[in-house]
Amino acid sequence: MDFGFSDIQGELRALARKILDDAVSAVTLAAYDEFAAPRFDRDLWQTLLDSGLPGITVAEEYGGMGLGFMELGLFIEELGRSIAPVPVLAHCVSGLLPLQRYAARELQDRLLPPATRGELLLTGDFWSGSGAPTVQGEATAHGLRLTGHCAAVPFARQADWLLVPVELADDIAIVLVPAGAAGLHLTDLQMTHFEPHAAVALDAVSVPSADILLASGGEQLVTWTRERCTAALCAQQLGAADHALRMAAGYTSERKQFGVPIATFQAVGHRMADGYIDIECLRLCTWQALSLLGEERAATTEVQIAKIWAGDVGHRVSYACQHVHGGTGIDRDYPLWRYCLWLRFNEMALGSSASQTAALGRRLARGEGLFS
Amino acid sequence: MKIQFTDAQLALRDELRAYFRELMTPELRAECERDMGEGGGPLWREALARMGRDGWIGLGWPAEYGGRNLSPMEQFIFVEEVMRAGYPFPFLTTESVGPTLAEHGNDWMREDIVPRILRGELLVSIGYSEPDAGTDLAALRTTAVRDGDDWIINGQKMWTSLAHFCDYTWLAARTDPDVSRKHKGISMFLVPNSDPGWSCTPVHTLGGVRTNATFYDNIRVSDAHRVGELHGGWKLITSQLNRERLSLINFGPISELFNQVVQWARSAASGEGGVVAEQPWVQANLARSRALIECMKLIVYKQSWAMTAGTLGMADASAAKVFGSEGFIEVYRLLGEIVAECGLLRSHSPGAFEQAGRIERLYRTASIITFGGGANEIQRDIISAAGLWMPRASR
Repeated sequence: MDFGFSDIQGELRALARKILDDAVSAVTLAAYDEFAAPRFDRDLWQTLLDSGLPGITVAEEYGGMGLGFMELGLFIEELGRSIAPVPVLAHCVSGLLPLQRYAARELQDRLLPPATRGELLLTGDFWSGSGAPTVQGEATAHGLRLTGHCAAVPFARQADWLLVPVELADDIAIVLVPAGAAGLHLTDLQMTHFEPHAAVALDAVSVPSADILLASGGEQLVTWTRERCTAALCAQQLGAADHALRMAAGYTSERKQFGVPIATFQAVGHRMADGYIDIECLRLCTWQALSLLGEERAATTEVQIAKIWAGDVGHRVSYACQHVHGGTGIDRDYPLWRYCLWLRFNEMALGSSASQTAALGRRLARGEGLFS
Repeated sequence: MKIQFTDAQLALRDELRAYFRELMTPELRAECERDMGEGGGPLWREALARMGRDGWIGLGWPAEYGGRNLSPMEQFIFVEEVMRAGYPFPFLTTESVGPTLAEHGNDWMREDIVPRILRGELLVSIGYSEPDAGTDLAALRTTAVRDGDDWIINGQKMWTSLAHFCDYTWLAARTDPDVSRKHKGISMFLVPNSDPGWSCTPVHTLGGVRTNATFYDNIRVSDAHRVGELHGGWKLITSQLNRERLSLINFGPISELFNQVVQWARSAASGEGGVVAEQPWVQANLARSRALIECMKLIVYKQSWAMTAGTLGMADASAAKVFGSEGFIEVYRLLGEIVAECGLLRSHSPGAFEQAGRIERLYRTASIITFGGGANEIQRDIISAAGLWMPRASR
């Protein structure tokens, strides 16, 4: 039982925070408000790639750091703190992770080095729906022909390759679809938090055998990847909620009414204290999920619990922080409002608290997930 | 970062579970039930002394006190398991007063009192609150007046739980009569409950648990009974309370109760058809409870780790206390809804069954935890000041 950071973890956190503090501000983020431009800071992305952070989990032979999911999660927590406009969750969690865990050597040799360098951007259809494939595949002489629809894929418009779970006659395959493939149609969505997501339609898209990541047994990859995507959202929520609360604690300590800082009113202090407790719960559940997933241990219960907290805590902290800021919090010239958007996204994506509660409850009723 | 037990810790947990299965005889269980989960009976005392002889109480303590040199995490695993087994463990003595005495006490306390605590032979009650000093503890009026080499103690304490079978009271008394020196005029004493000037009367509570009002009438103690620095008691009180707050949140019993309610719900017939656990609202209550208890577990594990690492912070100790106390109440409600009317039967009533009977009592005893060990309002004040650096109103 060790809740402390290793030296490397401490250094990675400090490195990420330094880069993000320097590059992300209310001014830089304003460029993407209301979809004025796709929310993707390519200069920052390049800086991060140069630092090696997006390749945290990639083996050293492919140019990565060779570390684990725990370290990636701590990096994502920092991204949540700064709500940085970069495709780390799409690329690293829903792209690199399943590729390095499940792809054959040949495919890894081909894609992992350029993807780790950022020359290829990856994303995956793991961020919406129930996990059941919404694309159907039909065998052809050279591979598969795909038809169907992915509801919302982050950075699909910007990505070079899209990982798609495909329903076959009696199996599930995972395929890589290149940007610009014939029959691939993207429709840009306008998400509440401005992050670029697209609906993806596949109309008889041909995929050669070489681009099939898993020809069968893809269900396991989907479950494995979605658990990591869910934990990543929790880590992102943790960073965002913590930053918002710190902002509110700072603001209420400065803002005076009736001649005193409003932080000295017990009602205000207590609402912030509740946020502190909430965030501590989210932190511990999230770190536990990251730790277990990083060691490839069973963590279905722990991931569900973390997401329940991510939803509840995001909601409560967001409205508490907005409330104690009064009008300042909703003023778009003050940086809090964007956190409200991200806290809502992280709350609802991949299962709200209510749906995760129902899922955990069904498992408990089957006798799964009890305390050891 | 590795939020998992080591294999050795898991083995220790298994060893303790086997130990307590054997220790908790039906006779001992019946006696503890009769004493409202407080202990104090002859079988309870014998079991405590046996745990001491077997080296469990001082598991995480240095060998000089008779301990086994393991870390606070192993100590915590022991406390969790003894509580899970349903034994009313006197954790205030062993986990909060004991360590404070070891850290701040004199030779007599470190060489005689603490080893006897670890042998399960000596119990200490806590004398802080008074009729007019609760949350504002530093308003206390019990006095200790110097008389030659001795101290003469006079006053009254409230809510001195377990005092009727304890050997000493860890007593906060005013040693500087200048009340303007409020926090700076308090010293700590170890007062023998066997003194003729010591008396107590019972106070019966909602949960059925007995607590006490205790009276101190011209009790003469030597200066060796004073703990720590003269007028330096406040620091010891806060140190003890930090440890107490951690001990109050023990997830062993509640995780055991949760597992039992799940198993009951999976087999008991529901009035709404099928078994209880098939009802969507029951599943939601179970999942909500599971998520809450998981956080209690992680919070106390983190604090045990922080104690090992020497980084236990005030805000986190208070956060654990608030979250744990309010979490217990919430879980007792959620699980109580599941056992439904059965949870309205006292445990000895016809028709009662074990888990529901326990929930019936727990919902009544639970109200103490949000104000005992420091009211949650004060804990939230501490969190916003020490955890978020927010200014506090002057009081």
